[in-house]
Amino acid sequence: MVPTAWMVAFFVSSMLVVVLLSFGHTQADGQPVFGTTPANFAALWDPVYLELFLRSLGYALATVVLSVAVAYPVAYAIALHGGRYKNALIAAIVVPFFASYLIRMYAWKALLSDEGLVNSGLRKTGLSDGIAFLNTPWAVVGGLVYGFVVFMILPVYASLERMDVSLIEAGKDLYHGPLRTFVTVTIPATRAGLYGGMLLVFLPALGDFVSAQLLGGPRTYMIGNLIQQQFAEGQNWPLGSAMTVAMMGALTVLMVVYLRATTTRTRERS
Amino acid sequence: MTGAVPSATRRSLLKGGLAAGAVAGFAGCGYVPSKTKPTESPLPKSAKSRVDGDLVYFNWADYLDPGVLKGFQEEYGVKVIESNFDSMEGMYAKINAGNQYDITFPIAKWVAKMRREGKLRAIDKDQLSNAEQVYYSGSYFNDPWYDAKSAVSVPFTVYKTGVGWRTDKIDTMTGSWNDLWNEQGAGHIFTLDDQDEALAMAALLLGYDVNTAKASQLDEIKKLLISQKKYLRGYSSDDVNNMSGGDAWIHHMWSGDFLYVREALAKKKTDYDFEAPKEGTPINSDAYAIPANAKHPGTAMLFIDWLLRPENAVKNIQYLYYPFPVKDAVAAFNDLAKDVPDADLDVKDLENPDVFRLLPADQVQARAAVWTEVKAS
Amino acid sequence: MSAGRLERKPLLAVAVTVAFFAWLYLPIVAVALFSFNSAKSLSVFSGFSTRWYSDFFSNSALLESLSASLRIATVAALGSLVLGTMLALGLERITSRPARAVGAVTLMPLVTPEIVTGVAALLLFTGVGLKLSLSTVTLAEITFSIAYVTVIVRGRLGSMSPEVEEAARDLGCTPWQALRLVTLPALFPALLGSGLLVFALVFDDFVLAFFTTGVDPQPLPVRIYSSIRFGISPAINAVGTLMLLVSGLLIVAALLLPRLFNRKTSSLDLITGGERR
Repeated sequence: MVPTAWMVAFFVSSMLVVVLLSFGHTQADGQPVFGTTPANFAALWDPVYLELFLRSLGYALATVVLSVAVAYPVAYAIALHGGRYKNALIAAIVVPFFASYLIRMYAWKALLSDEGLVNSGLRKTGLSDGIAFLNTPWAVVGGLVYGFVVFMILPVYASLERMDVSLIEAGKDLYHGPLRTFVTVTIPATRAGLYGGMLLVFLPALGDFVSAQLLGGPRTYMIGNLIQQQFAEGQNWPLGSAMTVAMMGALTVLMVVYLRATTTRTRERS
Repeated sequence: MTGAVPSATRRSLLKGGLAAGAVAGFAGCGYVPSKTKPTESPLPKSAKSRVDGDLVYFNWADYLDPGVLKGFQEEYGVKVIESNFDSMEGMYAKINAGNQYDITFPIAKWVAKMRREGKLRAIDKDQLSNAEQVYYSGSYFNDPWYDAKSAVSVPFTVYKTGVGWRTDKIDTMTGSWNDLWNEQGAGHIFTLDDQDEALAMAALLLGYDVNTAKASQLDEIKKLLISQKKYLRGYSSDDVNNMSGGDAWIHHMWSGDFLYVREALAKKKTDYDFEAPKEGTPINSDAYAIPANAKHPGTAMLFIDWLLRPENAVKNIQYLYYPFPVKDAVAAFNDLAKDVPDADLDVKDLENPDVFRLLPADQVQARAAVWTEVKAS
Repeated sequence: MSAGRLERKPLLAVAVTVAFFAWLYLPIVAVALFSFNSAKSLSVFSGFSTRWYSDFFSNSALLESLSASLRIATVAALGSLVLGTMLALGLERITSRPARAVGAVTLMPLVTPEIVTGVAALLLFTGVGLKLSLSTVTLAEITFSIAYVTVIVRGRLGSMSPEVEEAARDLGCTPWQALRLVTLPALFPALLGSGLLVFALVFDDFVLAFFTTGVDPQPLPVRIYSSIRFGISPAINAVGTLMLLVSGLLIVAALLLPRLFNRKTSSLDLITGGERR
């Protein structure tokens, strides 16, 4: 436990540095200084920041919803109909995730640009005159889903794999409809995977800055971008630290509520 | 000064922080002033030009022709160990943290800042065999605004910011910064994702100084920039790909990037044009500098000399499409810019007062607050 | 327990899956395709050429970056695997309040924006006088990756019954032997899964890596991230394709490894607890 405790202490002390810095200010020459002033937190009561937080929450939630909508059909198809190709299919989902996130996101920017491959294809096949995909909130959410949907597919897949399939059969007999069966049987049975996936998609999506920076428009600024700006051009590390502390505080509250609500997740596995 | 200075700074920062926690009643205090106060002490002496180890190089990505770097390695039998940064603030943080780079490429106002803090070594012109390429009699760079008597830096590139546009999509340009509010281009206009550049553009339109931090002026700038949002497609510094990918019909952009799009990437050059708006254009420059704690400053001096060789400067110009004030290479740049006079730069431009100056932190923060509100709203 | 087969194939699910794979791989294909582009464009393919690859392989800086990234990721994966597993095992045994608090704290890295952890790590290192280098990067990466390992391993532990290990001890094993011969082998899929995950995350990390590197060859993603703001050059596409190949090979290897040890458990039991990773 000793080395582990040391590592945790290391992490805790770096977080402590952030907290201490959030009470500091910046000297005239640009050097951040520790201190005891709550001025940075006071500065956060601007409605602009609240709006930004809500917008980021909105994007993150949209990302979660879309991820669920994608993950279930995919996991379902692979788990229950993949046969001996199951492992290969899951590997095929995971492998792209290993290639650079930045490069893949940037590839989307090139692909979706007005004169890029996708629009050229649309024009050539006469399907459309060209769609302005980029620099919209949907582009940002699309990027977020692309980056994080894997974190939803894998837990849901694992849950589906463990599930007793006869439950679905029984459900179909009882409920007379695939959708109702899905909602009343499949989802509860896979809720362990679902809850885990929701958390693992929501958290990084909320703090992401790459998607908004590459694919976003003039009104898609997210919290991640805001915090990053304070540490870069804004030259205001104390304010950035205060924003981080505030954000982490809000998220901790959300997480506690969420974990309480989902702790009927059982430890027994079939 | 050695690398010990920054570490001591950080250590006292930490100690100060703990002390502050303990002495709760001391509002705003609890920290020992760092050694980065402006210093009048003499500059760390220049090194002699000679090989004293491998070159530890710290620059933007893709900022030098790879052939030039390779040539240097072959000529002097040393390696170039490259690190990149994506912003001046990042560069500064890494140097402050005690990393010992041999050569770095600060933008003008950062040269001023780092010189003032004693973080740069002197560069003795007599050690550079190609010095007269840049420091010929009458050259602006003998005494630039950001580095008195050019003691610690050698100029690298110079560039101005203007507006690039697609002539095949827009025919209502007026030669003013107002063109970034052009109705015809609405939804296809980009502004640079750069605090100084965006604020400067609005300031110039309103007739203010590009470095202004006056509350009333900043307020007007903020309103002006927010009024642009309904025409804007986005804030982006990736002007090259936005223009060449067709997403941008009008782009707030840097002169060198425009030339690169037009001369190297465009299918039809005449589809693209550039203007230097009449209200004024910001001029910026960057330079080579040798950090005071460099371990191999001699090799760094040789490297600077190598880059000043006209044939290497020409290579860099043809790679970057930015001008280098190297006497015998200027013609190469004029050649690149011949069809787009507004993107060309000459010596007169350097006397331009619209440069980004070093500002104290409270002014930077006032400007940053405005920029944040513009971007977030 | 694997699921059985259902009679009718659900067309909708299959259609979505096919569309999903197309969507997932479109940028990958584009990246690979344009890495062979003879021109410097990202939207127009002008002809086949391997110049970007020969540039990469003759560019010692990029090669060293790749090697640095591989080394950091490997050490970080192993380090966080060891420490994360120890932590998971420890937390599983102790159910007291302080232990649960520790457990919650280990989740914080998942929540914190990377730029903040980067700056915090930088300030901490310089505050204690550590010189920045690849070792400091590795140290930082390990610290912030432990959370992933702990979560995954705990999930697996939660579904294991403790009786087997107790039985082993009753039969005369020392705690260490019980660990080695019973628990760890049973944890293997979780260890493999979390190890691979940490490797991928660290290999691709750019923010934390930027703030904690010294003057050694920088990890590859830092190089890539430095260009992102002003536009990527097609040479980076070659880099991306290579990274993909390397990771693809690693995954295939990981898939085949258990076969070598005659294991029946799917090595892709990555999320064994069915909960978060």
